[in-house]
Amino acid sequence: MKRPVIILALVAMLVSAGTVTAAAQGESGLVSGVVVAVNRDDGGGLVSFSIMDSEGNTHEFDVTGETEYGLENQAGDRWTATHADEPVAAAERLRDQQRRFVPLTVRFESGSAGSVVVTESGRLETNLGFLFAIYIVTWAAFFAYVFVMSRRQRDLGRQIEQLKELAGNRNGDQ
Amino acid sequence: MPNILSRHALLASAAAFTALAMWMIFVWAPTETNQGAIQRALYVHVPVAWVSMVAIVAVAAFSIIYLVNGREKWDRLAAATAETGVVFGALMLITGIVWARPVWGVWWTGEAKLTTALILFFVYVAYLMFRAYFPPGTQRRRLAAIIALVGAIDAPIIYWAADLWAEAHPPLVVGPARDEDSALSGDIGLTLLAGVVAFTLVFAVILVERYRIRRAEDDVTALRRTLQPTGADAT
Repeated sequence: MKRPVIILALVAMLVSAGTVTAAAQGESGLVSGVVVAVNRDDGGGLVSFSIMDSEGNTHEFDVTGETEYGLENQAGDRWTATHADEPVAAAERLRDQQRRFVPLTVRFESGSAGSVVVTESGRLETNLGFLFAIYIVTWAAFFAYVFVMSRRQRDLGRQIEQLKELAGNRNGDQ
Repeated sequence: MPNILSRHALLASAAAFTALAMWMIFVWAPTETNQGAIQRALYVHVPVAWVSMVAIVAVAAFSIIYLVNGREKWDRLAAATAETGVVFGALMLITGIVWARPVWGVWWTGEAKLTTALILFFVYVAYLMFRAYFPPGTQRRRLAAIIALVGAIDAPIIYWAADLWAEAHPPLVVGPARDEDSALSGDIGLTLLAGVVAFTLVFAVILVERYRIRRAEDDVTALRRTLQPTGADAT
């Protein structure tokens, strides 16, 4: 029962996606969606990209040297840059957004992207907390184990003294 | 005298490599693109996992030698290695759990690599519990050796688990079966190598000390039995 409905919905999405394409030339505004294509030049730098909005419309944007990025990686660390400074990294970051199906917002003007951003989740500090925890726990465990071993060594010293005493007493008795 | 010198040399080299590894991890290594700062957990997680797997194989190897020649020294070495290995096994699990939370969104999944790693930890615990609660003697040593041999089978399974049952855990990035597409780049790979060397040396230092204490414990127990034949409080 559910399968035909899903298939129909997918077909409707594909049809609507195919009918409306490209960002309006000569207009400006904001559009949100997920990345569906990343086009690169021979050097790997970003040339243009396309996003699909929630209604299945595809918008293609060129990038310029002034295009600004505010993108996050899987762990929530934010990367900000201007296209002129890091065109290759921009392409890689957008591919990462595409793979992870992350919605982003593009501010555009005359078919070119002015800024490409994802909502800031602000998880960097939390992630540093996790990293800090990993290193602290590791070294605390080593030191705790060394401490336990030193206690055992001290106990052994005490036992050896007791045995020496015992042996001395036996020799005295004989 | 040479024994003390070599122990001190081992300690000094472990300290030097650890300092070098920490500098490389936090200062020299680049920040990875996809995971950001939390990726630096790799430099602890992979080395402690490596040591815990090597340790169980070493426990099995020492156990085989004990079963062949029957000398207590090898059984003692196997027990000391297992006790040190369980610390690294626990750290492998803890560091993996804490790393998984920010990058996978969960603390734990039931996938093959994680499950087989958990089994390794239980193998260590079972081995040590058996030694702690079974009456001392030749039978305990032989049965413990057999547990170690069975447990060591888990090490190669953990290593290849991510390839055999591809799930959330990334494919192999180090070792003979590493995936070339996922192989680590120069600086990250070099930093990981420094971490592996540093943690292996830390393991060796702890193992040497644990072995010395275990030998002393056995000597004290034997002496106590000689002096107190009834052995009421013998350990």
